Amino acid sequence: MDWIVQASTYADDVDGAILLITYLVGFWFFLTAGLFFWLIFAFRKRDGVEAEYLTGGEQQPKKFITWAHMLVLVCDVFVVIAAIQVWVEIKQTLPDAPETQTVRIVSQQWAWSFIHPGPDGQLDTADDIKTVDDLHIEVDRPYIYELTSRDVLHDFSVIAFRLKQDAVPGRVITGWFQATKTGEFEIQCAEMCGIGHGLMPGMVHVQSPEEHAAWMASKSNGAMLAQAGR
Amino acid sequence: MRTAKNLFVACAALALFGLTGLAIAAPALAEDGQGEALFNLCTQCHGNAGEGRQNLEAPAIAGLPEWYVTTQLNNFMSGARGTHFDDIQGMRMRPMSRSLTGEGDVEAVSAYVASLPIVTPARTLDGDAAKGQGMYALCASCHAIDGTGSEPQGGPPLIGQSDWYLLSQLKKYQAGIRGRDPRDTFGLMMQPMSLTLPTDESMKDVIAHIMTLSGESE
Repeated sequence: MDWIVQASTYADDVDGAILLITYLVGFWFFLTAGLFFWLIFAFRKRDGVEAEYLTGGEQQPKKFITWAHMLVLVCDVFVVIAAIQVWVEIKQTLPDAPETQTVRIVSQQWAWSFIHPGPDGQLDTADDIKTVDDLHIEVDRPYIYELTSRDVLHDFSVIAFRLKQDAVPGRVITGWFQATKTGEFEIQCAEMCGIGHGLMPGMVHVQSPEEHAAWMASKSNGAMLAQAGR
Repeated sequence: MRTAKNLFVACAALALFGLTGLAIAAPALAEDGQGEALFNLCTQCHGNAGEGRQNLEAPAIAGLPEWYVTTQLNNFMSGARGTHFDDIQGMRMRPMSRSLTGEGDVEAVSAYVASLPIVTPARTLDGDAAKGQGMYALCASCHAIDGTGSEPQGGPPLIGQSDWYLLSQLKKYQAGIRGRDPRDTFGLMMQPMSLTLPTDESMKDVIAHIMTLSGESE
């Protein structure tokens, strides 16, 4: 699905599962709808022909329906296997590469806030960079996120990453992503969270390592100046 | 065939009527009651009369002057206010300001808020008003001796404001959560002023004095 930009390592896998479901369901939808309309046409009212009412009590007239049911179940097996594969990849595993970094995502009514590690690459140190609305990450680098909520249910959704994760108050939810394209991608809240739900957009800025280093440097200088001025 | 033609005419008439209805309704909203209509959204947190709701941490806004409401709405929209990591309440207000996208929306809703009668707030904090009166002298240079505010000095009225909100804002100014953005001109002026009240007690005393100006009685 190239017409919706794919900007993470697992975007194509998610699209693959969705397309598989679309093709399978689409096949059965058009087949049954076509059959249905053909039956309506072929067995329309005719003079001298009485309607026959099938109670379903006899096996013989239901034979073809049973076959179709079994075939649909076989298709379900494919869907379940594909879905589990994608689910395990995205939700059940975490990257363990040494370059992996961790960011914190804080949701609230009605804004996204972020805590990025500073130049030392570690969270909970003096050089952490806190932002509102804007998440800054490096392209081709795996990131683990720790998602929390300050109030109610929210959902961190980045369409370009094919990422959607509920934020639940009182819990720290861990997941991951790895961006594959530089650029700016929208963050949406995908869980109804109150009157401002539609008004809490954010932005992921996927930067080259050089751009990201420059951004961190600008933030670190800003933080130092702010402290000096206090 | 005749039925199909009648149906088509009926649909076309309905569509035309609907469009005409919209065309008439849109300018009517812009001219009359635009501010009141927009204020409906504000009532969700600030109350039907703009009296504020402490459980939602939304301050009283009834009767705030038009210039101040406009300034703050513009600050929220531009991100000069409500974009600090620890400004949880400000971040709730910011998207609301972003909903004012129509021409003249900010001015209309500001005028409507200004037209609302000031609500006398109930007292929720302790404090020694007599002690606070002396310390209020500095505040009076911008907020006026009777707490009615001064537009040229950029000081909004303090009368009619809830004590819990005044305390929360003083603390935000002190912590640099509010009044640190260079675009927030009046906030930048207020930030160092807030540091003249170093303790909770001194803040509560000044607020107690402001509450007497509001005509509040225990």
